[in-house]
Amino acid sequence: MFVHAGAFAAAPPEVRRTPEYDLKAIFLFQFAHFVEWPANTFRDEHTPITIGVLGDDPFGAGLDEIVANEAIGGRKLVVRRYQNVEQVDTCQVLFISASEASRMAPILARLKGRSVLTVGDTKDFVIQNGIVGFTLAKKRLKLRINLAAADTAKLVISSKLLRQAEIVRPKGGVG
Amino acid sequence: MLTSTTALVLAGAALVVREAVSLRQLLGTELSTRAGILAGNSTAALAFQNPEDATQVLAALKTDPSVVAAALYDDRNRLFATYPEGAAPPLVPAAPGSPGNHFEKQHLFVNQPVVEGERRLGTLYIKTDLRELNRGVREHALVVLCAVLGSIVVAFALSTWLQRKITRPVRILAEAAQAVSEHKDYSIRAQTESDDELGLLAGSFNDMLAEIQERDTALRASEVRLRQLNTDLERRVAARTAELENSNRELEAFSYSVSHDLRAPLRSIDGFSKALMEDCGEALGQTGIGHLERVRNSARQMGVLIDDLLNLARLSRAEMRREPVDLAAIGKEITTSLTEAQPERQVTFVVDPNLRADGDSQLLRVVLDNLLRNAWKFTSKKPAARIELGRTGENGGTTFFVADDGAGFDMAHSDLLFAPFQRLHRQSDFEGTGVGLATVQRIIHRHGGRLWAQGAVGSGATFYFTLWEAGS
Repeated sequence: MFVHAGAFAAAPPEVRRTPEYDLKAIFLFQFAHFVEWPANTFRDEHTPITIGVLGDDPFGAGLDEIVANEAIGGRKLVVRRYQNVEQVDTCQVLFISASEASRMAPILARLKGRSVLTVGDTKDFVIQNGIVGFTLAKKRLKLRINLAAADTAKLVISSKLLRQAEIVRPKGGVG
Repeated sequence: MLTSTTALVLAGAALVVREAVSLRQLLGTELSTRAGILAGNSTAALAFQNPEDATQVLAALKTDPSVVAAALYDDRNRLFATYPEGAAPPLVPAAPGSPGNHFEKQHLFVNQPVVEGERRLGTLYIKTDLRELNRGVREHALVVLCAVLGSIVVAFALSTWLQRKITRPVRILAEAAQAVSEHKDYSIRAQTESDDELGLLAGSFNDMLAEIQERDTALRASEVRLRQLNTDLERRVAARTAELENSNRELEAFSYSVSHDLRAPLRSIDGFSKALMEDCGEALGQTGIGHLERVRNSARQMGVLIDDLLNLARLSRAEMRREPVDLAAIGKEITTSLTEAQPERQVTFVVDPNLRADGDSQLLRVVLDNLLRNAWKFTSKKPAARIELGRTGENGGTTFFVADDGAGFDMAHSDLLFAPFQRLHRQSDFEGTGVGLATVQRIIHRHGGRLWAQGAVGSGATFYFTLWEAGS
């Protein structure tokens, strides 16, 4: 199996894989289908779509396996792993691990204005102006979306995706 | 009628089939389109594993009552969502089949791949009821059937009308013509009530028949008249013939009795002349005896004449037999007797030995006797004569002749030869009564033949005769 490894990526994730994170990995990949990035996000039409993981990687090899050999609109997919937000450069989908929960506000503040689809599963992730949040209800993985945050990131989220999610409007949120 | 009905039914069937096919095609296209839209709407539900949303998407199908069931399968062909909600096999298949439209007897179903980008997320299955379509087709078929039946009824009515208008009058005309030609009955008329061209035709036909009938009647009348005339004529001819025969018989009886009665005084004249010569010969002297000789000669001659006349008369009455006759033999007998009677004459007889004929031997003997005696008589002045009895090839060898090289006759008077008492020579030159050839002619006529002569003065005469010329 061919695995893209980011320049700053930690060594291959030897994390124990769980069904929950396997599913979340799939969702990360699927988001790329239902979100449109501004044209200037990519250097050219062959520039791959980057899915990044910030903090401790909970997916292990699962995410790499899912995106391997996949392409969306002629773009390949690559996975990058970052230890801190400063390392995040060109990235379209960024999963912010629970390990970063305490630093969530500064991380999101730093990413503000960049066309990055931020995804997290920490409590109140979307309230804190994260764009897509995973929640678990009745053992089912649910989505919450902060449309204002998506707007700020100049991302267009497909109505099909929106149909699957709970739309959250934070009161007096950052922005 | 059968042709047009078949054509109508075929056309109707074709219409229905075409309608059914196009309806099916339309339905298939519609279903594919709808399945495509639904598949597009259910990509996110499949991608984010949201069966509730998928069920909602599928629930939109309830606006179409013809949709029986629908189902979404995920990328591993597991049942993901159904319509109606909670439907389970066998209402929906446990796993999707091959992509595309599939027709069953009562249903049409489609398997539509659900694809986002290049990624196949699952399969959409929709099953619709064809009862609506089938009912539509049936209704259409019913309408077409009604139209076809209506057309047939109208066509039948039209053809019946046409038949009454055209075919029937023509048939009546043809039947009338046939009846006329079969029975030769010109009183037949074509019955017609129409006042169109066919009526005109029938009228002309009837006029023609009337004309023919008129002429036929006239012809028959004239035929009857002609037959009557003919009968009249025959009756008159028969009457005349009978009259003629009667008078002929009377004439013959008269001449017979006259001839017979004449002989008695003749015998007296001869007898008493002889007695006078014997008893008073010396008193009469040489001159007186000479006169009496003349009287007796004349009386004898008159006797011969009377005999001939009696023979002639008898010939007409005598019954005639028909048998094979050898004319050569008869000729030989006659020439022998002639030669014996005057042995001093130098006459060469030439008789064809093959002269067989049919007829009455007695009468034919009379013919040959007369002709040969004639030849003998008219060659008497020649020192050496030649007389021939034979037959010639003329008319197939059935013409007999008697030829001599004697005095002959003038052809200008040949029509007088066979008339009784007509003589071409003076009695002083050649004796004769003038009855012989008349007798010969009568016998030949009774034998159905002809008699004619050829000759010239001084170079002999030839008498020809035929027998049974009419072939009887």
